[in-house]
Amino acid sequence: MSQASPTMTTAAQAVAASKVYGAGDTQVVALNQVSVAFAAGQFTAIMGPSGSGKSTLMHCLAGLDTLSAGQVFIGETDLSSLNENQLTLLRRDSVGFIFQAFNLIPTLTAIENITLPMTLAGTKPDQGWLDQIMATVGLADRAGHRPSELSGGQQQRVAVARALASRPSIIFADEPTGNLDSRTGAEILEFMQRAVRDLGQTIVMVTHDPVAASYSDRVVFLADGAIRDELMSPTADAVFDRMRALGD
Amino acid sequence: MLKITLKSILDNKIRFFLTTLTVTMGVTFVVASFAVADSLRDTFEGLSADINEGTDAKVRADRPFGGIDDSVPLPVSLDYLDDIRAVDGVASAAPTYFVFDPPVYPTDGSGNEVRTFNGPPTAALNWTEDEVLAQMYLIEGERPEGLDEFAVGPIEFADFDFVIGETYTITLPEGTREMQLSGVMQFGFPDNAAVGAVLTVFDQVAIQQLMGFEGVAEEINVRAEDGVTSEELVERLQAALDDDVEVITGQEATDEFNDAFGSIISVIQTVLLVFAFVVLFVSTFIINNTFNIILGQRIRELGLLRAIGATGKQIRRSVLGEALVVGIVATIIGLLLGFVGALAIRALIEAAGGSLPDAPLPLRIRTVIWAVALGVGFTLLASLVPAYKASRIPPIAALRSDGVGDEGNAKLRYLFGGLLAVLGIALTAFGLFGASGTRNVLSLLGGGAVIIFLAIAILAPLFAGQAVSALASPLPALFGSTGTLARGNARRSPRRTASTAIALTIGLALVTLVSVVASSLKESVDRQLQQVVAGDFLITSEDGNTGLQTNVVDALEGADGIATVVPERSEFVQILGEESQLDGVSLDTVDQVFDFQLSEGSFEGVDVATSIAIARSYAEDNELALGSTVPVTFFSGVSRDLSVTAIYDEDAFYSYIVDNALLEELGVVRSIDDVVVNVDEGLTEDQGRAAIEAATAGLAVNIQTRDEVIGSFKQAIDIVLGIATVFLGLALFIALIGIVNTLTLSVFERTREIGLLRAVGMTRRQARRMIRWEAVVIALFGALLGVLLGVAFGAAIVGAVPESFIDRLTMPWGRIIVFVVVAVLFGLIAAIFPARRASKMKVLDAIATG
Repeated sequence: MSQASPTMTTAAQAVAASKVYGAGDTQVVALNQVSVAFAAGQFTAIMGPSGSGKSTLMHCLAGLDTLSAGQVFIGETDLSSLNENQLTLLRRDSVGFIFQAFNLIPTLTAIENITLPMTLAGTKPDQGWLDQIMATVGLADRAGHRPSELSGGQQQRVAVARALASRPSIIFADEPTGNLDSRTGAEILEFMQRAVRDLGQTIVMVTHDPVAASYSDRVVFLADGAIRDELMSPTADAVFDRMRALGD
Repeated sequence: MLKITLKSILDNKIRFFLTTLTVTMGVTFVVASFAVADSLRDTFEGLSADINEGTDAKVRADRPFGGIDDSVPLPVSLDYLDDIRAVDGVASAAPTYFVFDPPVYPTDGSGNEVRTFNGPPTAALNWTEDEVLAQMYLIEGERPEGLDEFAVGPIEFADFDFVIGETYTITLPEGTREMQLSGVMQFGFPDNAAVGAVLTVFDQVAIQQLMGFEGVAEEINVRAEDGVTSEELVERLQAALDDDVEVITGQEATDEFNDAFGSIISVIQTVLLVFAFVVLFVSTFIINNTFNIILGQRIRELGLLRAIGATGKQIRRSVLGEALVVGIVATIIGLLLGFVGALAIRALIEAAGGSLPDAPLPLRIRTVIWAVALGVGFTLLASLVPAYKASRIPPIAALRSDGVGDEGNAKLRYLFGGLLAVLGIALTAFGLFGASGTRNVLSLLGGGAVIIFLAIAILAPLFAGQAVSALASPLPALFGSTGTLARGNARRSPRRTASTAIALTIGLALVTLVSVVASSLKESVDRQLQQVVAGDFLITSEDGNTGLQTNVVDALEGADGIATVVPERSEFVQILGEESQLDGVSLDTVDQVFDFQLSEGSFEGVDVATSIAIARSYAEDNELALGSTVPVTFFSGVSRDLSVTAIYDEDAFYSYIVDNALLEELGVVRSIDDVVVNVDEGLTEDQGRAAIEAATAGLAVNIQTRDEVIGSFKQAIDIVLGIATVFLGLALFIALIGIVNTLTLSVFERTREIGLLRAVGMTRRQARRMIRWEAVVIALFGALLGVLLGVAFGAAIVGAVPESFIDRLTMPWGRIIVFVVVAVLFGLIAAIFPARRASKMKVLDAIATG
């Protein structure tokens, strides 16, 4: 059966999650009663065509957006029970983010960007862990550089390192390779893969690129705000086929 | 394009509101300045027109030199009355007396003295048979006749406790007198009062006797018969009378009066306009900065417009168009608010102890023209460079995701800034040390200051980055990453930080400058008075500026407990050919109350009728020595050659002094300025005061110790300082708006960045704190730079003014610290709105933007 069996720890899950924008004639249903769980220590890709609701699902799971109905959990925490400030603290302490672009604060150096969630929390980063991450992403010699002095790939590696640095219970990545050329993109994806396999991280990635999705352990397919399909240990071709099937 | 311009304004209401507000305040100030000055002018012109209304010609003593505001009027002999009446064409002629702040005044039924303190001006005057000639009309009761009757004006009658027919106490120079109130008389027109003056009216005989005008008049007013013009009348009178009288037309008298008061009002107007200019000047920086930032943000939009076919010229017009709308709207609102501003200025001056007539506030075409020229002009000026830059944005900018660096040609910029700085410093230095004439000096200093401020605005980006980094260096340690972010934001665009801070810099530089000069002046006055004045008490009239009668001296001399009495008086004379004030003391005893540091000759035992004592500095400037002859011409026309009998070193008070006896003999002023008194040795301060009070019982005097005199001097300086600080505070307020504007625009610009920070766990509180500390750092930078400049300017001015005026530089450190603290508070206040905006930002929208 699927690896998301009840025996594994669930890092995040949505239960009958609905999100509706607008009202009346202009009403748009972005998520329609979606129930899905993300196992800890797994690299999951959420795929779907534009407008399928994949970004909305991720935003709601990450506590960036609120549901119209249903529940989302990070670990045991029901996000709908939290106020704005509690959500912020939850993001800071338990969630990591990697965005498509504009991941870094231009006035901070690479290392300052990486430790930002912890310094915002006022906690001291674990230096050994930090050194390990810096070595893994190959940025040890670039720690003091500002984002403007880094290449696009290096910037994105800093973003990944930041997501990892605070050992969040889950990392959400939104098209992390969307702005990169294919080789640099592959580097980032391999690195994310290693973070899951070697370091035990949990990553949920939204993408529409079958190649990117092929780096994951599990692909969840979304269309019209509902889960349509899923695929374990995917290959790029298999993902591509499923996508085409969804489009039909 | 006009549509795009207007849309841009409508889409950014807050920005539009804030930039408009800065210009509005400047225009308001300009309009208020003119309105206050015009209102004063109207009042005085109305007064002078009324005084001379029915008068075709005026006969008065011929003044040898000086204007009507230089000295008391020279009396003209009443012997001329018959000669005047005999001239063909004269309908009537009457002696007139119009004494402002008279030494004669009534006390009402409730014991209130009718005197000038801070109320409307008081005057004593006479009525004449020919009502039109003196402009005195009976409103109620009877005209006063003889030495036992008086009348009051309508203001007095309404505001004080007076009943016609009752007897009241009149204070006279030599005591008091009981007189009956005969009626109410009004000056100006029969049906409406011309001026808000409080009047005490006597008949001709009474005013002559009570106020010491026996045998003379201040002026003789003449009315022509029908068919005789003023000019013809003047000609005939001139021919019939001796050379020692002067005959002028009523119109000439009016003009003379207006000129005299007009020059004082012009000074007030100029001072107010200078403050208004400061406000507009500071606004210009804010507008320029705002337009520059907007330009950076709209670069893609403007690039797109260029890409789809807008010409550079159209883009330029669009930016200038927005500026024009800001300028016009600000000017219109400013014109309306100007009257509120004028009332505020009046209230401020009154709060400081001054008084301005409560006349209507006129709006002149000239005011409107200035308001439009300054309001629209300054706004357009501020947007010229941004508009030019906007027109040069290439179409490709639409496709670039990053903003275009707005640093321009740095080398050229700094070269230009450097040249301006040198020019500004040169002008200032020439103004301080090389130029002569108050007007020249002030123009050079003002021009120099403007250029130096411009230079600093241009050069500040050069050091703003490092300076801000240094100032913000404790922030990361204090507030962790929030502090690090605040520091990073404050220094990320040195140019923007500098332009935002410069408004605060200018405001604080001026406030500090004024404070430094004021505190140095206070210290100098303090030292001079401490060192030079040896007398125990200073006795003045109760209001401090109307002078005393000689009976005070008579009362004090020889009284119990009084050791030395030195009256001081002054006359307007020509000395060594120059018009000047000549002061008199009692030479015999002057060294007991003043320490003038006599170095040659002697004060005592000289022939007081021909002696003059001079300061060493005056002696050196005019190459005089002991025994030199100093010719003095008195206002009465009499000249006398005085001989230098003493030279003293301390020139802080007087460049030259003579004995009172000489002034009594040849001068025209009857009153004395004040009396310096030494009490018997061994008396305490209270005992001394009691002795003086006993001696002057019944006389309206004010008794102050030396320390009290020093205190009131300092208080007067503090009042002027306070008014200047309030006016300059407006510039600080505008600087505050500037910080709000910049931060709001910056927050908008950093939407995605703030969204990211919020996404990765920055709390709202932390977001607010980040913006707040950025504002504080910018404010602190502006404040410190301003204080530095203010101290430098202040020190330069103190160094340049004559030693006799300010002889030491004193830094008001306490005040300066307060200024910096206030500036930091301003930063905190300015951050409130932008910080709220940043913290309320929806994380998702922020991330989705762009």
